[in-house]
Amino acid sequence: MMKGPRKDHEHHFKEQGGFEVDISMKKESIDDEFTEVPPADEMMVFLSQHIGPEAEPLVKKGDGVKYGEKIAGKEEQDHMMVPVHSPVTGTVQQIKDMPHPISGEKGRVVIIKTEESKKCPFYEPLGPASKQALLDRVREAGVVGLGGASFPTHVKLSEKGIDHLIINAKESDPNLACDVRLMIERPKEMIDGIKIMGKILGTEDITFATRTKEGETPRFEKLLKKSDINIARIRPNYSVGSERLLVKEVLDKEVPSGRFPPYVGAVVHNVATALAVSRAMEGESLVSRGLTLYSKKTGGKNLWVRMGTPIEHILRYLGASPSDFERIALGSIMMGPTVPNTSYPVLKATSGLTAFTSSERYPYKKQLACIRCGYCNTVCPVDIYPQQLMMAAKKGDVKRLKELHIEDCIDCGLCSYVCPSYIKLTPHLRRGQAHVKGDAVEDL
Amino acid sequence: MLEEEKKARPYKVVNPPHVHIGLDKNELMLKTFLLMSIIAYASVMVMGLQALFHILVALGTVLVVYNSVTAYQRWKGVKPTYDSPGSPLVAGMIVGLAMPLESPYLVTVVVAFMTMFVFKYIQGKYLDHKYLNPVATSKSIVLLALYGVATLNVFEGALQGGMLFHPHHYQHNMMGGFADMMGFFESAFVDTIPFFGIEISATQAHFFWQPHGWIGSGMGIVVLVVGSIAVYWLRYKWRIVVSTLGTMTILAIVAALVWQNGDISTADMITMRIAFHVFSGSILFMAFFMATEPQSTPMPEFSQFLFGVGLAVLTFVFQLNGFLGGSIIALVIMNMTTPLLDRIVIKKPYGHRVKSVVD
Repeated sequence: MMKGPRKDHEHHFKEQGGFEVDISMKKESIDDEFTEVPPADEMMVFLSQHIGPEAEPLVKKGDGVKYGEKIAGKEEQDHMMVPVHSPVTGTVQQIKDMPHPISGEKGRVVIIKTEESKKCPFYEPLGPASKQALLDRVREAGVVGLGGASFPTHVKLSEKGIDHLIINAKESDPNLACDVRLMIERPKEMIDGIKIMGKILGTEDITFATRTKEGETPRFEKLLKKSDINIARIRPNYSVGSERLLVKEVLDKEVPSGRFPPYVGAVVHNVATALAVSRAMEGESLVSRGLTLYSKKTGGKNLWVRMGTPIEHILRYLGASPSDFERIALGSIMMGPTVPNTSYPVLKATSGLTAFTSSERYPYKKQLACIRCGYCNTVCPVDIYPQQLMMAAKKGDVKRLKELHIEDCIDCGLCSYVCPSYIKLTPHLRRGQAHVKGDAVEDL
Repeated sequence: MLEEEKKARPYKVVNPPHVHIGLDKNELMLKTFLLMSIIAYASVMVMGLQALFHILVALGTVLVVYNSVTAYQRWKGVKPTYDSPGSPLVAGMIVGLAMPLESPYLVTVVVAFMTMFVFKYIQGKYLDHKYLNPVATSKSIVLLALYGVATLNVFEGALQGGMLFHPHHYQHNMMGGFADMMGFFESAFVDTIPFFGIEISATQAHFFWQPHGWIGSGMGIVVLVVGSIAVYWLRYKWRIVVSTLGTMTILAIVAALVWQNGDISTADMITMRIAFHVFSGSILFMAFFMATEPQSTPMPEFSQFLFGVGLAVLTFVFQLNGFLGGSIIALVIMNMTTPLLDRIVIKKPYGHRVKSVVD
């Protein structure tokens, strides 16, 4: 068994105001080596797996597809479009609409019948190449940010005037451990990817931001030093995972409201994205990723899963039954949505799956009256006033919402997490943002 | 619905986050109650069974109101306002600890009833939150009503026995005659701590053994320690405590320097002033357990400091004029400023502390 990080790391993350976030799920997963989950008989590949327009399908029912072959995404589509690839060799059975697991809106899905699970890179490895060729390969391989937001990587790498590249290995979500596992198990590929990113951006000032302590990932740290990549040890907390706050933490530069890190000359990429970039250069399309699955029944598991694999298939593979669980959260347990049923597949953005049994009471079921304790504004990492915003959102008071800077909410969920009255403030804040933008306001 | 979805097992769909820190309102109230019980225990040690009866009377009254209203709400098919007796018990304990020892029990019952029924249930039902501190407002109303009665010389005897406010405090000159007043207090305080046999002055009594005044002030030092633990552990609005007690300390020092007494050294005057202005129950207990009541106090951080400073200044002005129980009226006045304080001095969020240069 490959050596894991030291066991003396903290039991909790510490947030503003001294509030603690329990990281026992992470702790239980951190020593589990990656297990590859074989593809399901039927794979369901959503054509919208990134921020930006849905990729146009390039296949039709009955077409044969190969592992890693592009099945959607036309060259002439918007710059933000990212192609989608087949995770298996097989036949397209159907293309249809289905509610998207994240947006809830209808999205197109390509159903592929798996005929062969063998993996063989679809593209030729890319040798020494120009920045543009590297960038084109990143896009062609369908690489998007794997930290959860799934922003097109080629767009971020196209930024000009970048002085700093920050690799976000903070993995601040309390239920995820897959990034640290990747650092332990695939250090060389990750560092190759980081270097390629630096090359494309034209910067040698690269900082690897991690919450791990010195010596927890020795091989990886040795390679970082050898590659002249700085290590920034970030204090162990949840909120600094946000890229805007990470820039402040690492560079002591504040990204102005409404702007993004490139505005202060920085680009932030997730560490798993660096691995995807490296694999893209080897000819691998982004059709699989590492994720952490946690449930009381299975414990913490780090899995290597192909996009399009239905969640029920993963559960069965682990010896659990989909009926063992009452709700399943995608990605972060602080920010991720739940899936409505077991048929939903893993997407590029799925960094984790957390399955809760019916005996694990949903904490926000019984909402109490607000007592104005101020816990929410104490813990808020961007220093806004969630309770005041909630009141303004309820009244539809746009002037007040603007005064209180509703636009700066990063949706981290900490305000709800600490609320002693179990009030879910984030949906109210989203409604407030909709009021300000003049969008339709959802009912709660 | 698609075939796959029809076949698939449905899951519960909920918004994130999917976990909670684990500390809820009821637990918060229970812990507050337990911490205040330590203060109550200390006060009963100092003040005796009369203090215990006040506390029990206050707790009993709020529980009667709570159970009656809850039963009525259930009978009417309405969701009970309180799903546990935690918050009512805390209110009852505060009433008990905020009463002067000599107050008639009937006054304690009236204050506890008003606190629970009028300022917790009715205020909570008709307003979007509680704008006024229930205990402070109830006590202020009773105090002012009795003050009116006192001026008309009705029930004079009962008032002399001590209710919420002591007309005899008016005779003291709290400015130049402060040292004399403390001397007068010597008679109301013990000079030796029972069991230990330690001799103490009126000044020291304010810190350690104070059998006069608010029940919650029996052992000032215990209130200070337990209050500090509560602020840290339960994350009360600490800025209010710090600014109230800090301002009172500064004002006490200033007063000691301005109104000196030739027979007493400046250091002793300062100690005496701090003992009285900071360690009286109406200040110390109030600062920790009443002024931090979350609903009626501001949320922005700087506004909490302003609230505490305002509370201390008003209280000090009342004290200088011989109105020694005036801190609760000061608190009600400051509660009224909370909606305004909520709107001013909002801290700048991340992203607004730098100038965004237009490209």
